Amino acid sequence: MIPSPETMAAYVDGELSPQAVADFEARMAADPILAAEVARQRALRARLAAAYDPVLSEEVPLALRMAATAANDPQRPRLGLPQWAALAACLVVGVAIGQSLSPPGGSLVSEHGTLVARAGLARALTTQLAADGGAVKVGLTFRDAGGGYCRTFLSRADRLAGLACRRDGRWIVQTASAWAPQAAPQYRTAASETPPAVLAAVDGLIAGPPLDAAAERAARDTGWAAR
Amino acid sequence: MNGLDHEIVELLPRLRRLARALTRNPADADDLAQATVERALVHRGQWRPGTRFDSWMFRIMKNAWIDEARARSRRGAVLAPEAEGERVGDAGAAAVEHRLAVGEVERAMARLPDEQRLAVALVLVDGLSYREAASVLQVPEGTLTSRLVRGRAALLADLGEAAP
Repeated sequence: MIPSPETMAAYVDGELSPQAVADFEARMAADPILAAEVARQRALRARLAAAYDPVLSEEVPLALRMAATAANDPQRPRLGLPQWAALAACLVVGVAIGQSLSPPGGSLVSEHGTLVARAGLARALTTQLAADGGAVKVGLTFRDAGGGYCRTFLSRADRLAGLACRRDGRWIVQTASAWAPQAAPQYRTAASETPPAVLAAVDGLIAGPPLDAAAERAARDTGWAAR
Repeated sequence: MNGLDHEIVELLPRLRRLARALTRNPADADDLAQATVERALVHRGQWRPGTRFDSWMFRIMKNAWIDEARARSRRGAVLAPEAEGERVGDAGAAAVEHRLAVGEVERAMARLPDEQRLAVALVLVDGLSYREAASVLQVPEGTLTSRLVRGRAALLADLGEAAP
């Protein structure tokens, strides 16, 4: 008698008791058809493993790591990633592009080939926390390899998105681009649509996890002094 | 980083693998993983310490995936079959071959009814026990095993594994 498909599956999946395993294997030894069916089932498991197990050793995308780590503060569980992600999705790599923008508000000024944040943008980068609202929203704050702070920002007034790092008491804009707020679809997160080149650029700068709310506040209160 | 965040980070590779087994392509899978993590953080107060964290997260993923599938069918979005070429991009020849072989399994998975795909993904891909998988899906164990048996049979037929 052939065991039920359920019993066969349970055997292949290791769900049978030791006694039931012994019974099953005794039957299998006497029944080549059953043995062949078990082999098919095992081959299926192996194929599924070959298809999906390599995912385990892939590097977890930056956006996903940030979703898990950027929300340590239960007061603002959603502020960390989505805001940053919406921003990053709009970033265009290259200061050259930023230089040609020269927004009317004069938030950026080019000095010796670097872009420096000034006026309201500089004030926001220096004083605001990610939880604060305003004409400028600060997204993600992190340290680069040199221990200096970098912050992403969205400026509604300037229609500008970017990433700035603290150097010698000023915010040097690494990357900036024109930005317009867009309605986000309900489910799809902006982060996954971020161009890989942008993620790679941010990924290239960030050292360690992004700052949580407490560390962000502490950094601000000590004047963004590099380590 | 507190305990829960640490647990989530540790679980990310398995979440991504499960998501890959449920969705049609890597981008959708990472969207699903991300939506799962975001929901988990919002509902972090609902996890009871002492219960299995992976089961809790997988249940959230299942719900997110089902919600998303419903939303998609409400919108009436009909997705064009994906062109393999788009996904292989600049990968090398070996990677292309791997993708094509994997694609066969992924397409067979995608043709399974949702319930069977969930059962197969949890038990055959992630390796949960029947009891744990049934608890993730919130169904009796007998229901799980019956979905599993039907899912397996469909996959075997689809993948052309010769019957003995």
